[in-house]
Amino acid sequence: MKWTERTRAGLACGAVALIFTVYSGRLVHLQVAKHSEYSRLAAEKHTMRMVIHARRGLIFDRNGELLASNLPVRTVVADGSHIKNPAAVARIAAPFLEMDERELLQKISSDRKYIVVRRAVAEEKAVALRKALEEANLQGVELEQDAVRIYPNGQMLGHVLGFLDHEGTGIQGIEMTMEKYLRGRDGYRFSEHDRTGREIMLYRGQEEQAEHGLNVRLTIDMSLQAILEEELDAAFRDLKPEMVVGILADPVTGEILAMANRPCFDPNRPGGGKPEQMKNRAITDMVEPGSTFKIVVASGALNEGTVKENTGIYCENGAFAYAGKILHDHHGYGTMNVHDILVKSSNIGSAKMALMMGDAKYYEYVRRFGFGEKTGIELPGEIPGLVHPPQRWDKLTITRMPMGQSVSVTPLQITMSMSVIANGGRLMTPQIVRAVEDTEGRVVWEKPPKVAREVIPQKTARFVSNALSGVVGEGGTAQLAKVAGFTVAGKTGTAEKMSPGGGYAQGKYIVSFVGYLPEEAPRFVCLVLIDDPKIASAVNYGGLVAAPVFSRIGERAARHLDLVPALRAEPVVALGTGAKREGSWTP
Amino acid sequence: MNTNRRKQVNPVHFSSLVRCLLVALFLGAGGLFFVYMKNQQFALAEEIRQIEKRIAGVRAQNETLLARVTELSSRRVLQQKIADGFIVMKPIQDNVIARLTPPAAAVADGILRTAFVERGRP
Repeated sequence: MKWTERTRAGLACGAVALIFTVYSGRLVHLQVAKHSEYSRLAAEKHTMRMVIHARRGLIFDRNGELLASNLPVRTVVADGSHIKNPAAVARIAAPFLEMDERELLQKISSDRKYIVVRRAVAEEKAVALRKALEEANLQGVELEQDAVRIYPNGQMLGHVLGFLDHEGTGIQGIEMTMEKYLRGRDGYRFSEHDRTGREIMLYRGQEEQAEHGLNVRLTIDMSLQAILEEELDAAFRDLKPEMVVGILADPVTGEILAMANRPCFDPNRPGGGKPEQMKNRAITDMVEPGSTFKIVVASGALNEGTVKENTGIYCENGAFAYAGKILHDHHGYGTMNVHDILVKSSNIGSAKMALMMGDAKYYEYVRRFGFGEKTGIELPGEIPGLVHPPQRWDKLTITRMPMGQSVSVTPLQITMSMSVIANGGRLMTPQIVRAVEDTEGRVVWEKPPKVAREVIPQKTARFVSNALSGVVGEGGTAQLAKVAGFTVAGKTGTAEKMSPGGGYAQGKYIVSFVGYLPEEAPRFVCLVLIDDPKIASAVNYGGLVAAPVFSRIGERAARHLDLVPALRAEPVVALGTGAKREGSWTP
Repeated sequence: MNTNRRKQVNPVHFSSLVRCLLVALFLGAGGLFFVYMKNQQFALAEEIRQIEKRIAGVRAQNETLLARVTELSSRRVLQQKIADGFIVMKPIQDNVIARLTPPAAAVADGILRTAFVERGRP
């Protein structure tokens, strides 16, 4: 080839063209083939996904009283790669964060980009810290928004409200069951930051606003709750029992108006509570109900036509031999009708009614009253209780169960079973959540009252209700449950306490009273259950221990609800005049 | 050959010159305007950021105060204040209560009661 001028020029142009082609090819490779990879790397370097925290919904009582709220706090975080002078930062920040300077220095002396220095720092302290750092021209410490849950009423209603874990998720009570409504949804924002870590507003990217959590309105009336808790506190202080449970419910709607347990805990400091203090025993503990269970056999026997209202049942003068054992009544009774069996709380009469009904029918009524199944209340940890089917009964079960032995139930189940009588035979599903509302107060979801089933006809319920008003009347076992000005209906319970080693614990009782008022048109059902009150054995009965507590709660609740009394007010009978022991088994 | 160069001077095309100057000026002004606008944007963005920060601070302060007010007006605290005598509760007299439905009097003595109080309790 002739190395002419033209050839050289051609070669030079070709070489230049080739170089440009290679560069162009590389450029296309980087821009097209590797586009997504390098975009991601660039975004990772400069773009941050900032979380916009959703505010957790509030919890209100039925009248709008605030029960759970949020307190804004800050989480102090550090970017180790931006801290030029860790010692100075530690010296300035330590007093604001109430931390040891050396410990803080150790924490921030790192190249990590995200170091959580301290959580839940009060807003005012955090703002003061930022100001101090800005004045000292120190960088690398940021304040993130956060919130802690506060319960303004402290331990009041603590078992119902529950509390949150350290990540802000409900792990007890309403906080847990209504988590999906309360939580809300965090938003996000993509933004670019300069080399000092400061956001470049101009390059803000995609953004989605946070959806704040919805507010929950409960059926609880805090005025009634305060009354219940005060009276339970007094009982817990005076009687020193293992536990006390109280429930107030509206029998017509099934709404829980108040629910309290002792011992209790403060949900603001859940870490300080012992496990036994944190249980909502109204739904998580089961007890033998004692004589409050007699309403089941009376209702069932009347409804099935096994007995009529005036059928006489011979009560064996207080000692009934059956299946090799003797069942006792406290007093020897002759022939009594259903009304008197309930008023006198005769074990023998109740056992005989169950025997007349037969295992299967009696068991059917036990289940129809809601025992042996969860009530479905919106609280976590509810247990169904323990009701064995007739196939697993021994010969004595049919005589034990009507007096509330050989069966375990929750306090809420006892309350709801009494609501059946108060509500004309209809069992309502208990509810503690009334509605879910948005932040503007508009109702998003409302829970209407729900009839679980019609257990007995209204006529039967009226008859039993009338008998239960006799329990509180002259000659009944619960004269101390009277609420002056009102007709009260109810039933006492005195159950021997189960021993952990099997059998019954000597001298230990679970005493209770469950009743409602006014008997003619019940506005509330109230249960008071006291586990092992430390009181002389001679007066350790539901009618003497739990009934007066009921009376005080009933009086104050009636006043709060502005109920107009229908009876002349009479002084309440003195302690120990009228309540009777309800009998026991002896071998 | 004509050597008189004075007669061969290239004329200045003012219109082209003006056009070029205008284009240059326009491009320069455009560039400067772009830089100015960009600066403005950054300044405004920084201002917005500061305002956002202030609003967040004020909102947080507001919520903190609301939480404090809620706590101070909570039932627990009010009951404690009543117990300590800082607040006194006075019962509302029946003659100042407006009722939508006339109340029924208690049967025996005709005296209206909302409920029997502690009287008669042992």
